Amino acid sequence: MSVAQIQNLTVRYGSFTALNGFSCDIPEGCTGLLGPNGAGKTTLLKTLLGFVQPAGGSANVLGLDIRSKGKEIRQRIGLMPEQDCHIPGMSAVQFVSYAGELAGMPGDQALRRSHEVLEYCGLGEARYRNVETYSTGMKQRIKLAQALVHGPKLLLLDEPTNGLDPAGREDMLELVRSVSHGKGVNVLVSSHLLPDIERVCDRIIVVMKGELRAEGTIRDLKKLEGHPVDVELRDPSPAFAEALIAKGASVEPARATLYRVQAAGTPDAVAAMVLQTAKETGTQVRGFTLAQRSLEEAFLEVLRA
Amino acid sequence: MASPIADLTYRNYDGPLEPPLYRWWAIAKASMRLSIKKKGIYPLAFLSACWYLLLLIVFYFIDMAAQGVPLGQKNPILQQIIWKDQFLNAFGVSQLALFIIALLIGVGAIANDNRANALLVYLSKPVTRLDYLIGKWLGIFVPITLIVGVPMLVFFGYCTMSYQDYGFLTEDPRLFFKLLLLMLVPGFFHASVALGISSMFNQGRLAGAAYAGLYFMTYFFSGAMKIVHIASSEDGGTTPPIVKTLFYCSIDGLQIALGKLILGTDGSDPFSFAQAGPGRRGPNISVIPAPNPTLFIGAFFAICILSMFIAWTRIRAVEVVA
Repeated sequence: MSVAQIQNLTVRYGSFTALNGFSCDIPEGCTGLLGPNGAGKTTLLKTLLGFVQPAGGSANVLGLDIRSKGKEIRQRIGLMPEQDCHIPGMSAVQFVSYAGELAGMPGDQALRRSHEVLEYCGLGEARYRNVETYSTGMKQRIKLAQALVHGPKLLLLDEPTNGLDPAGREDMLELVRSVSHGKGVNVLVSSHLLPDIERVCDRIIVVMKGELRAEGTIRDLKKLEGHPVDVELRDPSPAFAEALIAKGASVEPARATLYRVQAAGTPDAVAAMVLQTAKETGTQVRGFTLAQRSLEEAFLEVLRA
Repeated sequence: MASPIADLTYRNYDGPLEPPLYRWWAIAKASMRLSIKKKGIYPLAFLSACWYLLLLIVFYFIDMAAQGVPLGQKNPILQQIIWKDQFLNAFGVSQLALFIIALLIGVGAIANDNRANALLVYLSKPVTRLDYLIGKWLGIFVPITLIVGVPMLVFFGYCTMSYQDYGFLTEDPRLFFKLLLLMLVPGFFHASVALGISSMFNQGRLAGAAYAGLYFMTYFFSGAMKIVHIASSEDGGTTPPIVKTLFYCSIDGLQIALGKLILGTDGSDPFSFAQAGPGRRGPNISVIPAPNPTLFIGAFFAICILSMFIAWTRIRAVEVVA
């Protein structure tokens, strides 16, 4: 089931087209929105929220039309914006509680819940401090807390690790991963940091120049054509490589003892050929896996396509 | 680090969510809460009410001084008082304090939100631009109206109990309703103009400086017109009508003009009743008559609506660069 369905969405800022006939379904779970800077990721999020009126196309979020049900959509989703944002003059607990009231929670529930989410986001000890005194990492966490306070069904995270040091980034990714798996919250993470997306998301959508370039699970995108396999040997063996080439396979040394082998046939047939060749050349095989490219390689290939 | 006894697991919220209506009230409540936390408004609120206190003291001493009046006769000084002029004078004197209160609680309302990107928080919730604007407006309007209205109504109540024999209620039977209308004027004006100016800046201090600049420039201009008027009157001549109109062309002046129009009086100099002649008014050299109602009521609403329109156009969650 999709949490958002987008069809031929076009968004223009004056003469500049930020989204050009963009179509995709955002499934349940945690989805990454990948693209270089200026690709249209943030515009897509803002259009789903109703901040920007599309020039064409249609979209619905949680079954609600973005053109006519903006308020209802915003009541059901939470946004963690890219920029620092807070309400001046408020402590963390006041800020998060106020965010809950704005979303429609009764005052007492909002206050109770704000304590809960602040604890969850690791700000329990600092909840009575004015938000303006917070460090960058704490400001990122409080943005997540205000987005979570009303129990949204969909969470939009725009560059959630922006400006964080390695430890802060690790903590934030852990929080995002935790909230997006098994908690009933669907998450759409917009980022240009591939390791972050790979760490927390199950699926990705690649956007470039306002158009959809690729979508699918990360595993599918990392798959290579033709079922190549990575074979790890005990010692480097040129004889093993030559024997495989003689049998019609292509062999590419990846590291000292690692060879990427590609041959016609199913992975099982390739495996049988590799093991037979190893036996013939007296080579010891230590590892055998289906070869994958990194997400970065897959991403760059999609962008170049 | 979170405390060890805390339950750190995430739980979904399954409590009630009210329909996405009337969000302006949540914003207004929060704005008012932030306003009353500012300690500076309390001495200013006291200052704005000082004139009423002074009047009470003066009336007390006038009462005391008239102990020698024969039984059955009324105090001749109290008889000269034009009651609604006392409210008008107190209203005029409170203007500066009310302006500073507006600076404290109003001018930063949108500018500080711009600085902190708070609009992203507001507008990502089921809050419309109109909700935001109404909420912020009420957050300024309600405190200022209370600061104006409470001492005004207390003084009205005191005079009702003490000076009915001196024509307090008979002078203008609709005075109470006029006062109710009058007490809305400063809140309405300052809330609208402060929001309009605030929306044009990213820092509350800059917005405050702009509003203060506007206030004092027009204040001194208005003062200059008054000097011209007094100089003309002392020479026994008449002041050109344009000078009388320009006197009201300031933030204070516009509100005082509206006060005169609402109360239906030209006003009188403070404590002029103490030297009043048979015409029941004192010399009142510096008094400038009430201005043209159409012009000034129109100007009042035009300024307020224009300011709100400016604020409306500048409230955006996204900076759209064409």
